[in-house]
Amino acid sequence: MDLTPRPAPEANVSRRRRKLVPTLVLVLVIGAGAVIVTQFLTSAIDYYCNVDDVGVKDGCDPGRRLRIQGVVDAGSVENDGVVTSFSVSFNGARLPVRYDGEPGGIFKECIPVVVHGVVQNGVFLGDRIEVKHSNEYVADNPDRVDEDVYAAPEDSACSPSV
Amino acid sequence: MTAASVDTNRRERVTGTSFTRGLGAVTLVGIAWLVLFGLVVTPADVNQGESVRIMYAHVPGAWLAYLAFVVTAISSAMYLFRRTRSLVWDRIAGASAEIGVLFMGISLVTGSLWGRLTWGTFWTWDARLTTTAFLFITYVGYLAVRNLGGTHHQRARRSAVLALLAVLEIPLVHFSVELWNSLHQEASVVGNTDVTMDGLMLFTLFLGVIVFTLMYVWMLMHRQRSLTLQDMVDDIGLDVALAARRAEAGSS
Amino acid sequence: MKDVGFIVASYVITFGSIGVFVSLIVSRARRVSRQIPPEDRPWT
Repeated sequence: MDLTPRPAPEANVSRRRRKLVPTLVLVLVIGAGAVIVTQFLTSAIDYYCNVDDVGVKDGCDPGRRLRIQGVVDAGSVENDGVVTSFSVSFNGARLPVRYDGEPGGIFKECIPVVVHGVVQNGVFLGDRIEVKHSNEYVADNPDRVDEDVYAAPEDSACSPSV
Repeated sequence: MTAASVDTNRRERVTGTSFTRGLGAVTLVGIAWLVLFGLVVTPADVNQGESVRIMYAHVPGAWLAYLAFVVTAISSAMYLFRRTRSLVWDRIAGASAEIGVLFMGISLVTGSLWGRLTWGTFWTWDARLTTTAFLFITYVGYLAVRNLGGTHHQRARRSAVLALLAVLEIPLVHFSVELWNSLHQEASVVGNTDVTMDGLMLFTLFLGVIVFTLMYVWMLMHRQRSLTLQDMVDDIGLDVALAARRAEAGSS
Repeated sequence: MKDVGFIVASYVITFGSIGVFVSLIVSRARRVSRQIPPEDRPWT
C-alpha cells in the first residue's frame, strides 16, 4: 500500500471552477436587495403620522402623501357600494376618510387602521387601508364580554368590549 | 447475517445515528401536537378571529431563523479566530444558514397570508417587513457565495466574513418595529414584561418554538454530516486528479 | 370557519416545505455517501 504523504489539497484546487448558478443567484440577490432598499426609501416618503399630527408635525402636511394611523370611530362607517366613508380618531383629533372600495382584512369599527393617501380639503382620500392589530391576544370566549380588550380613546365612543 | 445485509443496514442511516433517530421521533410527535393545538385546541382571538392560528407557525419560524443565523455567525467566528481553522465549524455555519433561510422563507410566506387576513394586504413596504425581506435575501446571497467554488478553506474564509457582517442585520430587524412607526405589531413575548396573551395561546406559541428548535437541531446534524461527506468526496476527486496528473507526468 | 383556506395553507406550506427540505438533505446525503465507506464517517 502506498503510504507516501499526499501534497496539501490547497495547492492545486484553485482552478476557478466558479459555477454559473451561484453567480446568477448572487446577481439576482444584489438586484433584489437594491429593489428592496429603493422600495423602502420611496415608501418612507409616505410620512407615517397619527391623526393628531396632521398639519402639526413636520412632514404631516395636507396635500402630500401620508400614512395616517388612527382608530375607526364607532358608527362612522358608511358604504354606498363604491366608496367607503368613515372617520378615524387619535388623541382627540378626528379626520374623515374616503376610500374607493371595500376595505379588506379585519376592518371594522373601533380598531386601529393605517390609511395611505392624501389630505384634501379636510378629507383624507385613502387608496390603501391596512388594519393594524395589537400584540394583545385574547381568547374569543363568549362568556367574557366585559373584558377591557381595547383601550379605545374616550372620544371615539368605542365601548371597551369589542 | 451476510456482509451485504450489514451494508444495506448501514446505508439506510447515512447521516443518522441513534440520537438523531430518537430526536426525529420526538420531533414528529411534537409536530402532531403543535398542529393539534394550533388548529383545534387553542381559541380564536377576539379581534383577529381564527387567523391568529397562523401565529403558531409564523413566530417560531422567525425566531428559529434568527437563532440559525446567530449560530452561523458564532460558527464562522470559531472558524476564523481559532488557530485550528477547523472546517467542521464552517460546515455547521453553512448548514445552519440553509435552515435559517428555509425558516425565514416560511415566516415571510405565513406572515404574508396572516397579513392578508388581518391587515388586508399581502405585503407592504413597512419597516419590519422590508428589513426581514432584506435579511432573507442577504442569506440567500451568503449561500450563493458558499457555492462559488475554490478550495474548502477559501469557501470557509469568504463565507465566514460575510456571515459576521450579515448577523448585524438581526438587531435591526428585531427593533425595526420600535425604531420606525410600523404596521407590524411589536414583540409580544421577548422584551415585553407585560405579556398580554391568552394562556393557552402562549403555551402553544412556546410549543411551536420547542418543536421548531427540535426540527432545527435534527436538520442541522444531518445537513452538517451531509456536507462533511460532500467535502470528503471533493477531496477524493482531487486525489484522483492528482494521481492522474502524476501518471501522465511519469509516462511522458 | 372563516379564513380556513389561508390558515390550512400556512400550515401546509410550513410543514410541506420542511418535509421537502428534509427529503432533499437525506437524498443528497445518500447519493454522496456511496463513495465514502461507513467506517470513514466520523459519527459512526
